[in-house]
Amino acid sequence: MLRSWTIGLLTACALAGPALAQATKDTLIVDLPGDVATMDPHVQWDTESYSVYRNIFDNLVTRDTAGKIVPQVATAWRYTDPTTIVFDLRTDITFSDGSKLTPADVVFSIKRITNPAFRSPQLSQFDQIIAADVTGPAQVTLRTKSPYPVLLAQLVKLSIVPQAVVEKLGDQAFNQQVLGSGPYVLKSWQRGVASTLEANPGYWRGATPFKTVTFRAVPDIATRIADVRTGRADITRGLSPDDTAPLKNERNLQVLSVATERVTHLFLNPAIGPTRDKRVRQAIAHAIDRDAIIAALMLGFPKRADVMLTEAAFGWVGDVPFWPYDPARAKALVKEAGAEGAEIPFLTSPAYDRRVNEAVQQMLGEVGLKVSFVMVDQPTFLRRRQGTPEEALNMAQGRWSCACQDADGVIFPLFRTGSQWAKFSNAEFDTAVDAARVTLDEKERLTHYRRAFTILRDEVAAVPLFQDAAIYLARRELKWTPTPNEAFFVFDMKWVP
Amino acid sequence: MIRLLAGRLLQAAVASFGVLTIVFFVMRLSGDPTLLLVPEGASAEQVAQLRAALGFDRPLVVQYAAYLGDLLRLDLGESLVQRAPVAGIVGERIPYTLALAGGALLVALGIGIPAGILMAVHRGGLLERALAALVLAGQSLPTFWSGILLILFFGVYLGWLPTSGADSPASLIMPAIALGALTMSTFARMARISVLDELSRDYVTAARARGLSVWAAVSRHVLRNAAIPVVTIAALEIGNLLAGAVIVETVFAWPGIGQLAIQSIQARDFLVVQTVVLFVSSVYIAMNLLADLAYAAIDPRIRGRS
Repeated sequence: MLRSWTIGLLTACALAGPALAQATKDTLIVDLPGDVATMDPHVQWDTESYSVYRNIFDNLVTRDTAGKIVPQVATAWRYTDPTTIVFDLRTDITFSDGSKLTPADVVFSIKRITNPAFRSPQLSQFDQIIAADVTGPAQVTLRTKSPYPVLLAQLVKLSIVPQAVVEKLGDQAFNQQVLGSGPYVLKSWQRGVASTLEANPGYWRGATPFKTVTFRAVPDIATRIADVRTGRADITRGLSPDDTAPLKNERNLQVLSVATERVTHLFLNPAIGPTRDKRVRQAIAHAIDRDAIIAALMLGFPKRADVMLTEAAFGWVGDVPFWPYDPARAKALVKEAGAEGAEIPFLTSPAYDRRVNEAVQQMLGEVGLKVSFVMVDQPTFLRRRQGTPEEALNMAQGRWSCACQDADGVIFPLFRTGSQWAKFSNAEFDTAVDAARVTLDEKERLTHYRRAFTILRDEVAAVPLFQDAAIYLARRELKWTPTPNEAFFVFDMKWVP
Repeated sequence: MIRLLAGRLLQAAVASFGVLTIVFFVMRLSGDPTLLLVPEGASAEQVAQLRAALGFDRPLVVQYAAYLGDLLRLDLGESLVQRAPVAGIVGERIPYTLALAGGALLVALGIGIPAGILMAVHRGGLLERALAALVLAGQSLPTFWSGILLILFFGVYLGWLPTSGADSPASLIMPAIALGALTMSTFARMARISVLDELSRDYVTAARARGLSVWAAVSRHVLRNAAIPVVTIAALEIGNLLAGAVIVETVFAWPGIGQLAIQSIQARDFLVVQTVVLFVSSVYIAMNLLADLAYAAIDPRIRGRS
């Protein structure tokens, strides 16, 4: 018994070795931290699902590697009035079952995701669209509730699904066996284990770099790193800066990183307690040594953020510098406000970097403010942070991304009076962000956002800390440049032995 | 015996119902998943709209009644995150967890019992000390750490075993060892104590006086008597193996229900969590029932009493 068991195991090990070595020639193996929630691109949009299904579908428009919105299914677009936009479409795109991608499919996709009965969690990104019509053999026209400058940025996330197939299969079956016009075709999806995509041989943008791509769900980062080190996987994501330190001398590996559109910041509540006093908020801004946090805790990976937006997004302004690190000034301000020894309750959840919170606690302690943490689970955190000013407490860490790369998706929900996140209220700020929301003139929008960011800085509505870094570990042969929106297009990768 | 069985089955049903009810309400105490599903910038109205569409705006009691009604019709519902039937989602994972628990039990029994017996028979010797060190290691190393050590040594350094996944028989070896280590130690300690206890009894002294060797006495007389507490522990340990699988499955990317439970709890995918808990508690209850029955089968005194 023991002998046959041993022989069986040794054989299995021996077989596993060469199979892996060969697999990397045509097959790209990607370790993701989790499983795909849905393959249907109109349902979930978590990073894992997004990383996989975006390779199966084409979108109306997309972003190039520099972040510019460029044509994909649409070849060109023009506004006929501030609420009406006309898209000209390609006529040479086919879905992987051979059927043609038509304007009717585009309209169907928009109506499907915006239909409240479909219950798409993504609805809020598209609900400004009130009409979508086929207006020519290769043309669709969309109408929005009001002039909506973020429309194109939102459409970057809208995948085009084949109307005939979805209607024939029904939503649940389509989710199991999705079919699109993208570079890859879903071959198999074993929930919780892996999804395998195969190259779409007739893809209109040309040949794909790998015949097969397998996405595996590997939750533990140490295991994902071990997978890439042994060649069991070719690339993985979700490394922390600390994870990269022991990998520096590995000749077969490379660490890829990019500053994302996500800004880690400290929310300050101007509606309650000690932070109601602007001098206390200013003191907090002066007390935090952001460069030290980036260098010591983040090993230099993230980029310092001066405003609550990154260069990757529209509306970013580079000429509104934040308050400098000046602990002496911070101490003086705390004293002036009579807040020495004041208690600052800080709301947090395990989703936020504890070390950053503790560094902030220490830095504020040094200028005379006493931070105390209130740790809750993430859904409770979100509920309280969006609740009353008392529930939200005086401080919290935030890591905001609207996935739309536009200031409107960041500072409007966070600071506009009446938004459920906003505890800050400033009429001048409201006027600026309202005006920027209803004009299509980019220059004018930028002027409004410059004003808005200046007010946020002067009133210290938040302390922007840094632009989060997305860190990937890949085999040395993989050539790829990650992008700030954390898109994972296999089509843009190459294998160079 | 039939009355005993019927009574235990009724107890099991009540216990399952209790577990279900507790999980249903505890999961909902800290809120529903709507906020985790929508984009961060969604307005309060948009959040409320999705909450209503998902049915979380109804009173908890109404949701509970609807859930029980579906359950009576054997409808486990649809995952609100994955938009697929829960029965399928959980069902696909069960074979993996059973394979892992089976492998771990094999490690635990295969190493733990012989180690325990050897420790008892060689009490005070070098072999006992060496085995005691092994048992202590199995008992004290947390699985999330021992798992990573195994991966680094056998997967990365030696390259003998796959570092993650479940795509070959070899993939089972490390997770089974990591998961089985603690149970192995429990078995070893229990077997040692039971065998030592039996070895000090008069019937063993009598057998030895008749000229029987220690090993003959152990194999012919002691093991059967020493087995009773070990069988009870074994049944309970299967439940612990399912619980321990949560960590091991995460470390080794083993796609069982433990990993599914973690993902579903994080995503607040209520129906999936409830079904996983229903399954694990049923197994736990069934194992206890089996232990009682096995106990009766091994020990005639218990059979007589029941």
